[in-house]
Amino acid sequence: MNTVLNLSSSPHARDKWTTSFIMRMVLLALLPATVIGIIVNGLNALLVVAVSVASAVVAEYLFDKLCHKPDTYLDGSAMVTGLMLALTLSPDVPVYIPIIGSLFAILVVKCCFGGLGKNFVNPALAARCFLLISFGTTMTRFQVDGISSATPIALLNTGKAVNITSMFLGTANGVIGGSVLALLVGGLFLWGLEIIHGEICFSVLGAFAVVMGLFGGQGFDAKYLAAQLCGGGVVLGAFFMATDYATSPVSKLGQMTYGILIGALGALFRLKGGAADSFSYSVIIGNLFVPLIDMYVVPKPYAYRLLSKRKWDAAYKQPFLKRVPRPVIVLTVITLIAGLALSGVFTMTKDTIDEQKEMAARAAYKVVCPEADTFASTAAIDQALADLNGQVYGSDFGRAYIDEAYAGLDAAGQTVGYVFKVTSADGFDGNITLAVGMNAEGALNGISFTQLNETPGMGMRVDEPAFKGQFEGRSVAKFTLNKAGGSTTDEEIDSVSGASTTSGAVVNAVNAALDFYRSAVKGGM
Amino acid sequence: MVSNTFRGGVHPDGHKALSRELPLREFLPTGEMVFPLQQHIGKPAKPIVKKGDPVLAGQCIAEADGLFSANIICSCSGTVKAIEKRRTLTGAMLESVVVDNDGKFTPIEGMDVREDVAGLSGNEILRRIQAAGIIGLGGAGFPTHIKLSPRDPNSIRHIIANGAECEPYLTCNDQLMRTQADAIAEGLELMLKLFPNASCTVAIEKNKPEAIEAMRKAVAGKARMKVKVLEAKYPQGGERSLISVVAGINYPAAKLDQPILPADVGCIVQNVGTVYAIQRAVVYKEPLFSHVFTLSGDAVKQPGNFIVRDGGSFAELLEFAGGLKEGVELKKALAGGPMMGISMPSLDVPIQKMNNGLTLLADDPNERAEEQMTACLRCGRCTTVCPIGLMPQLLADAISAGDLERYEKKLFGLECIQCGSCTYICPAKRPLMQIFKQTKAEIMAQRRARSGGGKA
Repeated sequence: MNTVLNLSSSPHARDKWTTSFIMRMVLLALLPATVIGIIVNGLNALLVVAVSVASAVVAEYLFDKLCHKPDTYLDGSAMVTGLMLALTLSPDVPVYIPIIGSLFAILVVKCCFGGLGKNFVNPALAARCFLLISFGTTMTRFQVDGISSATPIALLNTGKAVNITSMFLGTANGVIGGSVLALLVGGLFLWGLEIIHGEICFSVLGAFAVVMGLFGGQGFDAKYLAAQLCGGGVVLGAFFMATDYATSPVSKLGQMTYGILIGALGALFRLKGGAADSFSYSVIIGNLFVPLIDMYVVPKPYAYRLLSKRKWDAAYKQPFLKRVPRPVIVLTVITLIAGLALSGVFTMTKDTIDEQKEMAARAAYKVVCPEADTFASTAAIDQALADLNGQVYGSDFGRAYIDEAYAGLDAAGQTVGYVFKVTSADGFDGNITLAVGMNAEGALNGISFTQLNETPGMGMRVDEPAFKGQFEGRSVAKFTLNKAGGSTTDEEIDSVSGASTTSGAVVNAVNAALDFYRSAVKGGM
Repeated sequence: MVSNTFRGGVHPDGHKALSRELPLREFLPTGEMVFPLQQHIGKPAKPIVKKGDPVLAGQCIAEADGLFSANIICSCSGTVKAIEKRRTLTGAMLESVVVDNDGKFTPIEGMDVREDVAGLSGNEILRRIQAAGIIGLGGAGFPTHIKLSPRDPNSIRHIIANGAECEPYLTCNDQLMRTQADAIAEGLELMLKLFPNASCTVAIEKNKPEAIEAMRKAVAGKARMKVKVLEAKYPQGGERSLISVVAGINYPAAKLDQPILPADVGCIVQNVGTVYAIQRAVVYKEPLFSHVFTLSGDAVKQPGNFIVRDGGSFAELLEFAGGLKEGVELKKALAGGPMMGISMPSLDVPIQKMNNGLTLLADDPNERAEEQMTACLRCGRCTTVCPIGLMPQLLADAISAGDLERYEKKLFGLECIQCGSCTYICPAKRPLMQIFKQTKAEIMAQRRARSGGGKA
């Protein structure tokens, strides 16, 4: 009894939960999605998962050793990051993709910023975005039964029907962690254990659905909303990515703000941006706002929430300028100056830019109608364009618009061909505008793009001769897109591999021009 | 909707089954008895006996010195052996009266005779409480007669008898309420005399059905008294939690640097042990020298509930109860329970007025927590459990960034009641409440330095 007993400050009791217990629960919650992903996608998916998890753990182990840090590689957080990354990958990626991704996630995003709880964005998502930028084509190659095709979201964006059931179960084309059902089971499990905050996941889903309903063009149609929610990693993002502790706000109010921000951005990106990976980016942008939210969204203790403003001011009065932190004032001033400068430059250069655009358009017309010296409108064309009134052209051509149409005249004033400026809104990354030129007999001279912002290495390849050359010299009523390649007839156009959306938009645009030619030019004569 | 609990809180393992059914046994110590002169907040009491003086049980041996001080009462008969510095349970050496116990426990005259108190004036009641040296037995050691003398007695609406006993392991108040319900009810009636506009609520956690039943019976038919059953949750017995549940008032810790006391919001909270002591002091003129006590913990062979005498040693009580389990090495001794208790360097120190338990553990949870500590996950569990509505995780961030301004003004760090819920729940095992305690001390020291500098 003479030995001195252990001394410490109260409390002398601790909850059973530890860091690694929470990580194990997250792994457990991801298990159903992983298993279904492997069953649906086969052994290659298993390989991707295994390599991703293993390299994440090894990366953290190496960092611990090289930097003489305490061992943290077995606390489970590296495994969670590796697994989450794998679930966002296509099962068909080569093995170096998950390795590079995991190394980037753990070493750059996590360890370099201070390790567990200090990463500034979600490591798995940051790695996915890093991979998308670095290995665009490889990352977005999705196959079903050996045939590459568009993901359901790409289909949905072009207004096509999708199979919601297969998306929900996870048998549709897409990433390994594509089973919405399994993710929901895991997510609700974590929510039930209060490991993830419902304030985040449900406000993400809610905001996403509301914005989709308001701006998706299909109203609050349950089927449409369900398809949008089931696709493109929204559920994975809402339950597992956005809820990442290190990169989500602390207060309930902050969490809801953050969730709404992510959900709304995700929906807007998908609707207006067109990139299938938009949800990753919206979560990352949400992550970047967290320090700001945590700085300013701080709820008062319960005792103060009930005090009136007058009493509050009496107790904690501060002058206005002291309450608004200096960086906010400085940033506001800088933003105002930069904004004014930009709008000034824009106004000054607007006319010049318009002139340049006009010249570029003329040059494009010249390319597809080389025999013409000048381009002039006709009464029939003017009438037809006026009738269109800027609406979508026809019903068979997607969202194609006839912007301009001219007859090409040679030096003698003879009609030597026609040009049509057509815009398709069905591009993968915004509008595609092209000039379609034909000779006086109605045979195509060719096409030339005046606006094209598709994915480099994929959609952008429609501008290569191998694709656009196919239209030259052909005289048909309507082209069809052949996704498999190896076309034999004049009507068929080979799709750019992996970019059937862009190719389809171009073919639709050309068909619209052909149709317009027949009705307004030929029929009008 | 009437709530039966506060917001936040944790559910630590109660371990109450170890001792909750065991009846109170009286423990009479032998040998020398030590009475530290400071067992309350405020100044130490002034001894009024000297070496060699004979003393009796119940005799005042040191008088209160100043407003927040309290009398010290001898709990045995014998002779004063010395007045010297002795080691106390925190490890500090405090000036103490040491009495050689003759083992007879001869009481002073007049004790144990029931007096009719119906005609007693409020001032007389307060005088008797003060003479009995009663302090809050919940642990803070606030002199009771001060607590019962607010600026405006008419403004008091709620008297709350705290029988929550949310601290794990402790069961002595449970036993006290089961056996002395009528005495507690009488003590409450005496308090109600002081506060004409108040009604009284006995707050008990629902895991004590027998105590609830006994107290309900005792207050039945009494107009201004009722029993309220609370959810079993820590820190349910905290002053602010109780006021939040019973009166529906959440109040800040301070306003313009002036601390806000429960009386400022019309409430007075007294531990049921204190209420019992008040009844003994007023009705029997028996001063406070014995009280209920729980000995428990996984290192103890036979846990139990006791009526202990102040001044006896913890070690002797353990021996009396049956000692440690065979083959178990004692790692940690806590005066009180694990959540709020003070860890003791040794058991050879005297039991003081506000000690209501001794918890002996074979394993040290804090040592284990240090091994398991990881970086903060930012999981937010600390925010969920904070009964005050603070954000411990951001508080810790502010401290490590050295931003005490943000800590105090934006995050309300000084509102922390140091209940330890955040430390308890943290899966990364970070010592949150401990650093808040340190930071509060630091901020207070800075303030004192500032104001002190102005005066000098």
